[in-house]
Amino acid sequence: MRPASFPYGSMPRVLTIEDDLVTAEEIATELRSHGFAVDLAADGREGLALAQRGHYDAITLDRMLPGLDGLALVATLRGQGITTPVLMISALSDVDERVRGLRAGGDDYLTKPFASDEMSARVEVLLRRHAHAATADSQLRVGDLQLDLMTRSARRSGQDISLLPTEFKLLEFLMRNAGQVLSRTMLFQEVWGYHFDPGTNLIEVHIGRLRRRIEQPGRAQPIKTVRGTGYVFDAAD
Amino acid sequence: MSSTPLTEGWRSSSSRLLGLYSLLFVAWSSVLLGVMYWRVSDYLDGLAESALLQRAHLFQRFQGQTLDDALSESLRYDIHGTYAYGVFNAQGRHLTGPLQALPQGIEADQRSRQIRRWQLADGVREDNGRALAMRTQDDRVLVLVRQSGKLTAVNSIILDALWWGVSLTVIPGLAGWHVLRRRPLKRIQQIEAATDRITAGDLGQRLPVSGRRDEIDRLSSIVNGMLDRIEQLMTEVKGVSDSIAHDLRTPLTRLRAHLYRTRVALDDQDPQAVQLDRALTETDLLMGRFSALLRVSELESGQRRSAFEDVEVMSLLAELHEFYLPLAEEKQQRLELETGTDPILLRGDRELLFEAIANLLSNALRFTPEGGRIVLRAVSDAAGVQVEVVDSGPGIPAEDRSRVVQRFQRGRDPAGQSDGFGLGLSIVAAIASLHGLHLEIAAAEGGGARLILQGIHGAENSRSAYAP
Repeated sequence: MRPASFPYGSMPRVLTIEDDLVTAEEIATELRSHGFAVDLAADGREGLALAQRGHYDAITLDRMLPGLDGLALVATLRGQGITTPVLMISALSDVDERVRGLRAGGDDYLTKPFASDEMSARVEVLLRRHAHAATADSQLRVGDLQLDLMTRSARRSGQDISLLPTEFKLLEFLMRNAGQVLSRTMLFQEVWGYHFDPGTNLIEVHIGRLRRRIEQPGRAQPIKTVRGTGYVFDAAD
Repeated sequence: MSSTPLTEGWRSSSSRLLGLYSLLFVAWSSVLLGVMYWRVSDYLDGLAESALLQRAHLFQRFQGQTLDDALSESLRYDIHGTYAYGVFNAQGRHLTGPLQALPQGIEADQRSRQIRRWQLADGVREDNGRALAMRTQDDRVLVLVRQSGKLTAVNSIILDALWWGVSLTVIPGLAGWHVLRRRPLKRIQQIEAATDRITAGDLGQRLPVSGRRDEIDRLSSIVNGMLDRIEQLMTEVKGVSDSIAHDLRTPLTRLRAHLYRTRVALDDQDPQAVQLDRALTETDLLMGRFSALLRVSELESGQRRSAFEDVEVMSLLAELHEFYLPLAEEKQQRLELETGTDPILLRGDRELLFEAIANLLSNALRFTPEGGRIVLRAVSDAAGVQVEVVDSGPGIPAEDRSRVVQRFQRGRDPAGQSDGFGLGLSIVAAIASLHGLHLEIAAAEGGGARLILQGIHGAENSRSAYAP
């Protein structure tokens, strides 16, 4: 709930294209509180023009817009070789809609009604992924934890940790987004690849298992629970 | 759905009508030809008799050598060889002519009689014939015989004609009947196929109209008109609920945002923060329930078959088993996966099938007490594919089984503290109906619940139900 510290030098810039003023204002407020500079566009054409010349780090895009439809907008951007990560936000939750959005070039898809913190978390995950895409490092190291992405093996302070494939994927996702609060839905989508609400405390149980795998006596647990929101990998203390 | 096989053609109304009609036609033809046969043979018989009498009358005038010459001369003009004669003395001894002996029962009274057997120079002739005996002027006995065997040949020609006539009527009749009974049945099958697609949720489908403007076409047009109206109403209703949904989503998003914004501004120690956290949790519950409802509606609208493919059930179950195992272990339940060796294919959307079975497992885990056992298995046999989730919980009472798949019914909830929205099984039912699967709720051995998803094999399913 505090502004996350960014691994990038300058303040990241986000373009929010949304026709509902209150929602747009809310998205902007939330993103600003996380340390982003936000520009607003209220219709598709204006949004496209800004996206084309604005050099933004990320875009949040409403699916249904006056002027130019969200799908057409993202397809136009991709057609012009602009790879800015796009989070599509839509009132249409149908799975086919999501597939269509992602196929048109969107990077992630969020359905209204949404929680602001989840929205900002998704934008940050997109930013990190975009930054990571450039570096093809086979080692991922956060704090005293180290993942070898080639051999799919994990070590903590020099000791091997045995992990199941899904546990490895879960840990990798948490570590890649260290310091970022991740919701259960995001973890389920990213690690298991399904897009519904699994309900109950399933993700909690999987996190609990992963925690037991990586815990070492005398060392702090890096996977922390953020009440009501999700989990964060925090190797700071 | 059942579809009428073509072999059950006897049941079609037109085939019955045609069958009856053919029967009447054959009967009537037989009567007609029978009467004709009787009349013709009667006429020919009369003709033969009159010819015999005419001859007798002619030969009455001759006697002695002249009679003998006239008789032998007359045979030369008997082209068909149907006549014979014999001249006998008063004691009945043969004098001249091809007929060697007096036929039995003959009397010289110049009356024609039916005979069955007569003796000619080249042997005994056995046939139908008429004979007539008379006294000549020189007191001999002249016997004239006309063989009606040749007349019988005429009869058999007529009988042949009768037989051929009837056969030629019956065979094309049967062929026509076969064709005619197939055509309406084929159309009924097309109508059935279209109706199946409509029932499965594709309201854009219409019954086929052939353009012949017959009764079936008229019926189809009437039903199509009705479907147009229903589709229009459904679109309107869907439009209204879509806009309600749209109108609700944005305010809900705003409400959540306002609460969240206020909460972020407060210190964790602030007494208001606790209240706000509760309000936030309630809002999240509301949003979750809202999303789940919308999801059931979307699934029930049934427009998601584009992404259907053959899903390997065993790997899907293995994935689900791995996903739920930690939760079961936490609750000290045994979650067992029974796997076969053969791959089982099910036509469908992998993600939706995962969600459906996940819901079944989630329920089973929730309602099974600590130390209980849950079995996940897939069976493939000649009848089809069957995915089962069997638990050792309290089970679902028989009277509740149809109720629990309806929206907002929670079914068994002995502790009254379920955190589900009561939509789990509705989602399963919606996904099942989208896939043409049958969701069955039964009792497991030992009293638990046994939930079964039944479907047909992948390849068959793709061929029958969902071909465009």
